[in-house]
Amino acid sequence: MKQVININFQGSVVPIEVSAYEMLKNYIESLSRHFAAEEGKDEIINDIESRVAELFQERLKAGATCIVDEDVQAVMNSIGRPEDLAGEETSANTQQQNNQNTNQQESTYSNTSGKRRLFRDENHKIVGGVCSGIANYFDIDIAIVRIVFLILLFSFGVGFIPYIILWIAVPSSAVQVIGSRRKKLYRDLDEKYLGGVCSGISHYFGVNVWIPRLLFLLPMISFAFRFDDSDYGFFPNIIHFSPSAFIIYIILWLVLPEAKTTTEKLEMKGEKVDMNSIKESVTEEIKGVQERAQKFGKEVMGVASEKGKAFGGEAKSVARKGGRSLGDVIVFIVKAFAYFIIGVVGISLVISLFAGGIVAIRYFSLKDFLITDGWQNFYTWGVLLFFIIAPMIGIITWIIRKITRVKAGSKILRLSFIAMWIIGWLSLALLGASLSNDFKHNANINEQSLTLSNPTINSLEITDHLPSTRYTRKRWFNGDFFDNVIDEDTISIRNVAIHIIKSPNDSFKVTTIKLASGSTRKNADSLASLINFNAFQQDSLFVIDNTISINKTEKLRNQRVILTVYVPVGKRIKINGHVGRTSTIRFNGPFSVNNGYDEFDNISFDNVETGWGDGTWYTMTKDGLVTADGKPANYNDDTNFRFDENGIDIRDGKSSVRINENGISVDDNIKSPDASNGGTYRYEDNKPKNKYDSIKINLDKAEQNFRDSIQKEKDKIDKQVESGIKKETSSLYKLLPGNLLMGVL
Amino acid sequence: MNIDNTASQMRKGVLEFCILSIIKQGEAYPSDIIDKMKLANLNIFEGTLYPLLTRLKNAELLTYRWVESNSGPPRKYFLLTDKGADFYKELENTWNEMANAVAALTK
Repeated sequence: MKQVININFQGSVVPIEVSAYEMLKNYIESLSRHFAAEEGKDEIINDIESRVAELFQERLKAGATCIVDEDVQAVMNSIGRPEDLAGEETSANTQQQNNQNTNQQESTYSNTSGKRRLFRDENHKIVGGVCSGIANYFDIDIAIVRIVFLILLFSFGVGFIPYIILWIAVPSSAVQVIGSRRKKLYRDLDEKYLGGVCSGISHYFGVNVWIPRLLFLLPMISFAFRFDDSDYGFFPNIIHFSPSAFIIYIILWLVLPEAKTTTEKLEMKGEKVDMNSIKESVTEEIKGVQERAQKFGKEVMGVASEKGKAFGGEAKSVARKGGRSLGDVIVFIVKAFAYFIIGVVGISLVISLFAGGIVAIRYFSLKDFLITDGWQNFYTWGVLLFFIIAPMIGIITWIIRKITRVKAGSKILRLSFIAMWIIGWLSLALLGASLSNDFKHNANINEQSLTLSNPTINSLEITDHLPSTRYTRKRWFNGDFFDNVIDEDTISIRNVAIHIIKSPNDSFKVTTIKLASGSTRKNADSLASLINFNAFQQDSLFVIDNTISINKTEKLRNQRVILTVYVPVGKRIKINGHVGRTSTIRFNGPFSVNNGYDEFDNISFDNVETGWGDGTWYTMTKDGLVTADGKPANYNDDTNFRFDENGIDIRDGKSSVRINENGISVDDNIKSPDASNGGTYRYEDNKPKNKYDSIKINLDKAEQNFRDSIQKEKDKIDKQVESGIKKETSSLYKLLPGNLLMGVL
Repeated sequence: MNIDNTASQMRKGVLEFCILSIIKQGEAYPSDIIDKMKLANLNIFEGTLYPLLTRLKNAELLTYRWVESNSGPPRKYFLLTDKGADFYKELENTWNEMANAVAALTK
């Protein structure tokens, strides 16, 4: 049972089966493409249609009730498919085509000048011809496009994804020029699960449909299998969740046309459909038969005058071409520049959205510790989905559609993308307002003393672990705030700051101030009181928690502890390197209390010692902390050993050695910062016995310090680089559609 | 060297000459031309013929007139112009020369 429709074909009504009509329509379309370059194209098509109509009428007169597939087949056999016609008339053109390959770019332009399309340039390609195609399309130097892609590729790996997508989505110029067997990427709606993307890809690459499905699925679900390098047990490592496959799928879904008609389905499967092989470079016909006939006569009979005529015509066209390029050169440059600017803006917008997306996913595990359930949670999802992901997909889709002219994006789609982004902005604003309200008030300052088992000890070392403990957590703040410090329902943050103050009596005293923020002061106070901070003394060690644990119900609200150590004059103090760092987790700028001032709370701390570093023994004097060799903690080392345009200047107390172009000079009685302190030292053994020896010692010391600090910096950088590279490569690898590349290769 | 390719090129060169000679014998409808060529064992597609005719017409070597048909839309009957007749003469000379030359060479 087949449906029959009536069509008005060349002035007569023809009853025809739907499938036959579809076939006929495709056939006429393919012919019309075949003769696209022909001068009298419309006339030719019209003539052919008339002839087809005549043949149909004959069929109907002979008693057929309607036109069926076989009739159309017969017509096609009689009139010829484009491929048949190609064999008959274009063989002579191939030579001409080859000659034209040199300026093919230009010829493809002129052929399609009205409707320029983006093609991958097969003639100037290095990898897939994407760059040369883009350069062609925008009239830019190919080198610029390549450089932009390379920069993108090497800086973020971002250039890679669009390249692959364009490689697949953009048709090759070979299709246009040579009319080769043509395969197109469509979505296959017949075998779809979601959008038919995987099925279409499998047809395109001629592989089993499960291979692209697996490749798309694996990165999406891989996080479920990746518990190994997660330090916090069986918590799914969301950091390693790769959204790229999902995003690529969505983009392909939106970009690729679905295979609707029979022809498209055939194209999708790559069966030979030469009806559709476009032959825009059937150039011989452009010149017309007259010229050809002239050549024919010319070659055989050698008519000189006609030769001259042809030559003149050619010269004329060359001159015209030259004039055109000269006149357009300025427009050309302006246009290229404008496109470049637009391109850069667009690309950077996409990149920043991408970066936002990555950051959001990377710190996704933080969400539960920061966001309260209910509205805040709702807003967060709104921001993630509509502010970051939706516009990202929208922009990429729009760009590709624009370039490949797949089809005009539907109005509804565009409006819904805009609406989604507005929702995203709204969510962002609401989330920001809601969050900032939660940080509005600060807790009261409430200083509590910690009990010391032996407050009169001579020296105290603040540390986070006993010497018997051989392990410590060292990675707090390596760019990964929470790498090792989140587990299922608690987060450990390093908001412990240490103050050192001169004790009014001769015993040590340690106090804590617990602070937090909240929507009300009461709220903040209760959050602050919930902070669990442990400390105990063991001989000369004072062991403290180096982190504050916060659970999911408490939420991160700037909880922090200020530990104040009261050091009696004459006694020694050392802060272990693992504790009391100033780099802490804050949502409002750096939290630095070493300068005696908490910017966030506008709390001013009086008499707080400054300038001390960790891992060094200091002695409390009546003027503040000094190091073992008698320098004040806040004493600037630079004044001790100075190297400037005046030469090298070494000072120690009242003595100085100066080395410059005048030679070496020794001054025994200069005014130095130390001298203003009276140059006295609490401990006699610290006093230099011999000033020249001490100068030498100081020189060595300065050198050693210098070396040490450089080595330290170097180690630090090495470590950072190492961990950074590891992280970068792994995350990059996950981000990139390596699987897709594999498919392409 | 592809034999089909060479053969079709040879055919191609004389195609216009053949068409012109058929039309010279009297106005012709494209399917008549096809039939006549078929009789002479020179098979071409109508899809090849139509563009050729259009080109020749555009080059003012041919002209046509509409003839009402009782089996479908009106038909185009092609006939030679004066220019076309001259053109045909020149082609004929060339063809004879070539045919003689080829005959002499392939003897």
